[in-house]
Amino acid sequence: MAEHTVASFDEDLRQISRLVNDMGDLAGSMVGAATRALLETDNALAQRVVSDDAIMDARQRELDDRAITLIAKRQPMADDLRNVVGAIRMAGDLERIGDLAKNIAKRVGSVGISAAPRDLTHSIDGMAQMVLIQVQGVIEEYTAGDATALAKLRNDDERIDVKYTSVFRELLTYMMEDPRNITACTHLLFCAKNLERIGDHVTNIAENAYYVLTGTQLPANRPKQDETAMSAPAA
Amino acid sequence: MKPMLSTDLNVADTTVEKAKIEVKDLNFYYGQSKALKGINLSLPERSVTAFIGPSGCGKSTLLRVLNRIYELYPKQTAEGQVLLDGKNILDRSQDLNLLRTKIGMVFQKPTPFPMSIYENIAFGVRLYEKISKAEMDNRVEQALKRAALWTEVKDKLNASGLSLSGGQQQRLCIARTVAVKPEVILLDEPASALDPLSTAKIEELIDELQADYTIVIVTHNMQQAARVSRQTAFMYLGELIEFDRTEKIFTSPREKRTQDYITGRFG
Repeated sequence: MAEHTVASFDEDLRQISRLVNDMGDLAGSMVGAATRALLETDNALAQRVVSDDAIMDARQRELDDRAITLIAKRQPMADDLRNVVGAIRMAGDLERIGDLAKNIAKRVGSVGISAAPRDLTHSIDGMAQMVLIQVQGVIEEYTAGDATALAKLRNDDERIDVKYTSVFRELLTYMMEDPRNITACTHLLFCAKNLERIGDHVTNIAENAYYVLTGTQLPANRPKQDETAMSAPAA
Repeated sequence: MKPMLSTDLNVADTTVEKAKIEVKDLNFYYGQSKALKGINLSLPERSVTAFIGPSGCGKSTLLRVLNRIYELYPKQTAEGQVLLDGKNILDRSQDLNLLRTKIGMVFQKPTPFPMSIYENIAFGVRLYEKISKAEMDNRVEQALKRAALWTEVKDKLNASGLSLSGGQQQRLCIARTVAVKPEVILLDEPASALDPLSTAKIEELIDELQADYTIVIVTHNMQQAARVSRQTAFMYLGELIEFDRTEKIFTSPREKRTQDYITGRFG
């Protein structure tokens, strides 16, 4: 893309995309660290995720300020306008991903290593890996300007939904097998739900990024498969 | 009448509404120099169309062809067709006075006549119609109300038009245009010399006027084009590069040249 006649306009836009990238990197590392802390009952790592969330919030506020100022000063049009509005929206989703990662991290102490033997957390580990790949991938594809990859990535969220359903059923089984598992499994269930929500935010980011890059919206209907509502016990 | 849909690749079918003006294969020359190159364009009725583009792109020239005002100057010639309700106004047989009652024009610099506010409006009406004093009073009042100027000048209709502020003068010119009951209003940078408040009043006025008139506006102010128009034509070096719904042009134009221009990446 050619440079703007006003060079400082380019610099303003660069700073906004740098912030989106920073927030994306941070979101990836927070999700990764939160799940590692959960699986390894690493309280120190969990604590780092909690403090990283404050950095995430600060980045979002800085991005909002810069974006609002840019709109007021430059009145961006066309791709510039989509870029700035897209950045505001993506930052909102990234900030929420940070919150959800923090929420997972805060449960690390509650789950406890004795109550969370390896086999209980095994399937959550798999789900977390899938989510992490999505979080890291979405910002990479956006930076690379690959709209096709973003559309695919958005559809891949379906696999996380399916995985969540299976984790839900599995944890339910552990709880029925042995009531002593209930406390740990309930916490793990919340963690799984948080991971599933993170996947949804990645989907939003992919949709926004696609619009920024192409100027057209992805179709509203995306395959959606969360069956836990149906399979939940009636009582 | 031909359908609105143009065969030109970058000219979208902006609307299914009736075309008020259709420009077909229009070329325009200042002497030997070709200023407009094969323009095809349909301007829908009762709607605002904006022409944008860098200086010298031909947007004002195109506007000047629409009411044949270019003919005031020697060596300026137009080829092709400009159909107003299906009738070619470039035809030799077209009565120019009649044409200019149908297609009014407001210029960049306010051009009130050096006479009273009342006479500024009545003067034009008298050229075309013989009406009584009472009818004329009513016509002047209606025109001033239409131009959102009435409350500001109703107590000083005999004051000189030149005593008004720039923004008021421009609205007086719009009132003068509206008074002869045109069908189309051409606005050439109507707010470029005005302060933001006067500009807002002109834009509000344009918004109201489109209920009754077909409006074409030339503007260098991109935000203004985005605010007031329903469709926008981007011109460059005498060619129509892209014509589409305004929101499309300003959020995701199809042509790179349009994008570069509206985002400030030109040249």
